[in-house]
Amino acid sequence: MKLFGKSNLLFLLPPFILTIALVGYGVIMAISESIHKNEQLTFQYYVDVFANDIFIASLNYSLSIAFVSTFFSIFIGLLITRWLYRCWKNDFLKIVYWIPMLFPHFVWGYMMVLLFSQTGWFSSLVYNIGIIHKPNEFPVIINDSHGIGIIITYVLKETPFVILMLLPAYHQLNHQLSSVVRTLGGKEWDVFKTVEWPWIMPILFETSIIVFSFILSAYEVPYLLGTTYPKMISLLVYEWFFEGDWSNRPKAFAAMLSVTMFIFSIMMAYTSLLIKKRYHMMKGNGKV
Amino acid sequence: MNGWKILLKEPRIWQAIQSSWLIGITVVLLNLLIAIPAGRTIAFHSFRGKWFFELLFTLPILIPSLAVVMGLHLTMIRLGLTDHWMGVVIVHLLPSVPYTIKIFHSSFERIGPHLEDQAVSLGSSKWYSFYSIYLPLLVPSIRSTVFLVFVISLSQYVLTAIIGGGNVVTIATLYFPFLSTVKESVISSFSLVFAILPLTVLLLFELLIQIFIPYRKQNG
Repeated sequence: MKLFGKSNLLFLLPPFILTIALVGYGVIMAISESIHKNEQLTFQYYVDVFANDIFIASLNYSLSIAFVSTFFSIFIGLLITRWLYRCWKNDFLKIVYWIPMLFPHFVWGYMMVLLFSQTGWFSSLVYNIGIIHKPNEFPVIINDSHGIGIIITYVLKETPFVILMLLPAYHQLNHQLSSVVRTLGGKEWDVFKTVEWPWIMPILFETSIIVFSFILSAYEVPYLLGTTYPKMISLLVYEWFFEGDWSNRPKAFAAMLSVTMFIFSIMMAYTSLLIKKRYHMMKGNGKV
Repeated sequence: MNGWKILLKEPRIWQAIQSSWLIGITVVLLNLLIAIPAGRTIAFHSFRGKWFFELLFTLPILIPSLAVVMGLHLTMIRLGLTDHWMGVVIVHLLPSVPYTIKIFHSSFERIGPHLEDQAVSLGSSKWYSFYSIYLPLLVPSIRSTVFLVFVISLSQYVLTAIIGGGNVVTIATLYFPFLSTVKESVISSFSLVFAILPLTVLLLFELLIQIFIPYRKQNG
């Protein structure tokens, strides 16, 4: 196996440097900006931010949107994947779930506006059929205060991503184990619980963290589909960072770093859990 | 077709398409260059702290890139990387490289190290065995990387806006101000541009693959 010897580790250097120099350095600079006031150390900005009603509202709003969207994307993605891997041989399906990837998020967002806003296609369709009598009777799901439009957009866009992550795992699954469960009289749920779940659980967790942190810190879609109050966190931060007076800048850093720390701590909790689980799984399945 | 006419008369759109192409293709190439060797090492070798590296390489997509870029902003101004397409390329690596490493990690894992061992034991050089054995087998992964990374690069609005300032105009930074000012038909045509560009790039890479990668017939 040793072909390149130590030089193999050299190949890890470029992404290592990239991560340290960009992510590491960037976060450290951000932290330093958020705790300095007139060259003195202070946590004042964090206190300010968490005492700020606009920020708290925005944090709640963002967290709930991210949780709900992630949950539905994972759930629907899992269902579709289980159905897909049985018809895996059909190459056509591979192309179909790539299509949503063709457009950036904000283009999907714009399509949502086009279709579902009160002046959109569906509204005028049901109006012309006569189900509603005025265009403004159409339910508000774009720029609504619950973020339904944002959630729908993300579920549509992230479900293919979940499928993309899960399908290879289902492909590698030891399907003889499923047959064992079935011959022993297990139901479909037993197959899922005892064979599939232990195998896909790490990937499912990883995918859900990626999706969650992506949505929590997203800017483009909420910009199109969100409300002015409460705003998704990134919009608020961008506003503090760029608009008007510079005194808001440290607050922008403090707000964004709070979100970062939140994601980071979930990730650490997951990782410490996963390292143990992965080890058990490798021993149990006998595939690796 | 009226939407297309108005859109194509807009002089900034051509400039934007050009810089989106330039930035996107550079990002794709850098991604391949970084991720193929790294993915291979992670897939074929076990070493101490491997889980740490895997975790580290996922960080750029977990840590909000807005936080990172805001932190980098001042330094990049000092280095003269803001308002320049190279700076935009660098920040576009953040949301793309982790995915590419994952893609190549799993595809190397699927192929396995044994083919290389065989070729080397038969006297082929390491680089030739990579070129003649792995590269043809990696074609599907390269294809999906080109597509995925280019789309990721096209979709970055905030990162491009912060680092590119007003000077680097990509189709994403042009699209947003358009949304509130221009007619629906123009925006619809514009939305289609986002799908057409990745296809042109995919076609370009397909051509390169046909020319440069050997033994396509057996594996295609």
